[in-house]
Amino acid sequence: MELGSNYLYSITYYVPECIAIIAMAGILFLEIAYKKDESKRILLKIFTVLGFIFTLAALFCLVDLPTKKIFYNAIVIDRFSTLVKIVAVIATLICYYFGLLSRDIYTYLKSEFGILIMGVLVGTMLLASANNMLTLYLGIEMLSILCYPLAALKRSDEKSAEAGLKYALYGGLSAGVMLFGISFIFGILGTIQFDEIAVRIASLDVTQKMILLPSFLFFFVGLGYKISCVPFHMWAPDVYEGSPIPVTAFFSIVPKIGGMAAIVRVTAIFFTTENLLQYTWVGALSIIAALTMTVGNVSALGQRSVKRMLAYSSIAQIGNILLGALVLETVGYQAIIFYFFGYMVMTLLAFGITAVLSDQYGNDYFDRFNGLVYRNPLMAIALIVTMLSLAGMPPFIGFIAKFNIIAAIIQKGFYVLAVIAVLNSVVSLYYYMRLVRLVVFKMPDSTEKLFNLGIGRQVLFAIMGLLILITGIFWEELYTFAHITNQIKLAH
Amino acid sequence: MGIAPYIIVSSILFVCGIVVMIARKNIIGILLGIELILNAAALNFVSFTKFSNSNLDGQVFALFIILVAAAEAAVGLAIVIRFFQIRESIHIDSATQLQS
Repeated sequence: MELGSNYLYSITYYVPECIAIIAMAGILFLEIAYKKDESKRILLKIFTVLGFIFTLAALFCLVDLPTKKIFYNAIVIDRFSTLVKIVAVIATLICYYFGLLSRDIYTYLKSEFGILIMGVLVGTMLLASANNMLTLYLGIEMLSILCYPLAALKRSDEKSAEAGLKYALYGGLSAGVMLFGISFIFGILGTIQFDEIAVRIASLDVTQKMILLPSFLFFFVGLGYKISCVPFHMWAPDVYEGSPIPVTAFFSIVPKIGGMAAIVRVTAIFFTTENLLQYTWVGALSIIAALTMTVGNVSALGQRSVKRMLAYSSIAQIGNILLGALVLETVGYQAIIFYFFGYMVMTLLAFGITAVLSDQYGNDYFDRFNGLVYRNPLMAIALIVTMLSLAGMPPFIGFIAKFNIIAAIIQKGFYVLAVIAVLNSVVSLYYYMRLVRLVVFKMPDSTEKLFNLGIGRQVLFAIMGLLILITGIFWEELYTFAHITNQIKLAH
Repeated sequence: MGIAPYIIVSSILFVCGIVVMIARKNIIGILLGIELILNAAALNFVSFTKFSNSNLDGQVFALFIILVAAAEAAVGLAIVIRFFQIRESIHIDSATQLQS
């Protein structure tokens, strides 16, 4: 009796996820039963979009609630996880819209694209609010397993199948290694609950901590693979290049912020007291963050395909976000949430514009952007704004996001990391400006007209461009909204 | 018999899995390597539960691992079949389209 009422009570806090799951199952059934001709399936699209909107609405209802642990401490609903989920839902909705319009996804697969990204969204939500090792593992696997077919969605394309294959192999290996690490953490500490792990770590002696260290490094492999930070980033450019563009845009946002949220939570819960484990974890994270930024930016310099350049750029951005996890205080998490929002808008806009040109020409090489400003001023201006913002130029949101993160780490005394972050920002300016130079100063190769964007995409690009500018100038409101009122860390 | 033999067996399984993933050129072989790694972790969980603590977390975890491994193998094999239909080979060295 008590079990049943506990579950019913828990579900009242779990409404957004339930809506997303029901929507996913609904699309699955409608996909089978509804009309065969994809272009006539208007209702199916409306159903999918409504699923996203209701999820978003339910999440907004949960924003101001105090921290709540449900399902016997398996899941935690707090402001941090809810804000991460909100960003993820918005990103998924816009990616779905890109997917509907893109030629990169075959017409008869559009509804399957909806099912799969809805599933990945559920995985991200699970990962963002995971409060024990089992939910964390299930979240990561739900994310990964649904991402493999997404990468291989362009079925008859050789590159896409290969991208799916590489993703599946790397993903399986890293999940396995992470699981092995978790099994030893469980063996040494005797529990999988995050709260209890944090308590028991504090009572270990030095030898036991030495044994625990490699387990935590194994554990980090799985999370590091999900956010594609440096030793585990090799899959990212290949997979991003092979996947269809809307999928690439999706990959560079939703799974990454899910994994990032998990890293932030793990760091915040396990490693707040000063001991050997904390020094190692924070040291490893800071080295990885510095390497991630540097390798991402340096590799992006010589790329020919814009998609691949954006893949490396997203690796570099993740390095920046990783710095926020080192702060171990509310101000760091606030900066991370703000960065997530800015990163989402900038990346979606960049990929959206690339998708248009790629649909037109069949590839996304840099010279396809030649003289874009003479051919489609709206797209060109939006692209320039997002490139400047990604490089971290004021007055755009990218600058404020980077500024918040760097200010937070300087407060904690990581001066070297701050210098590395700023230098990397300078390096990144080179390849972002290369695209801007092509757009503005080169003459178009051909007089071939770009096909009509359609009112929806024009409005979307304009809104996102304006959002980057406006939130860059009037950022206080958004930054206050991202404030994490309650510490993620537990009060014992 | 204590916990040590279980840990040794699971560690051997884990190392075998890693070696298989690195050394085998056949994609099906690589997928088998992933299964070995997952099973090593599952064995660890059940043996830790048996010897060192009384709650059922580890055994529940092992059940979930089996479930997820099945799902992962299904998706992985589907992608391998697709790859085979396109390239007519399941040799990992024929996956060379995406390199910079």
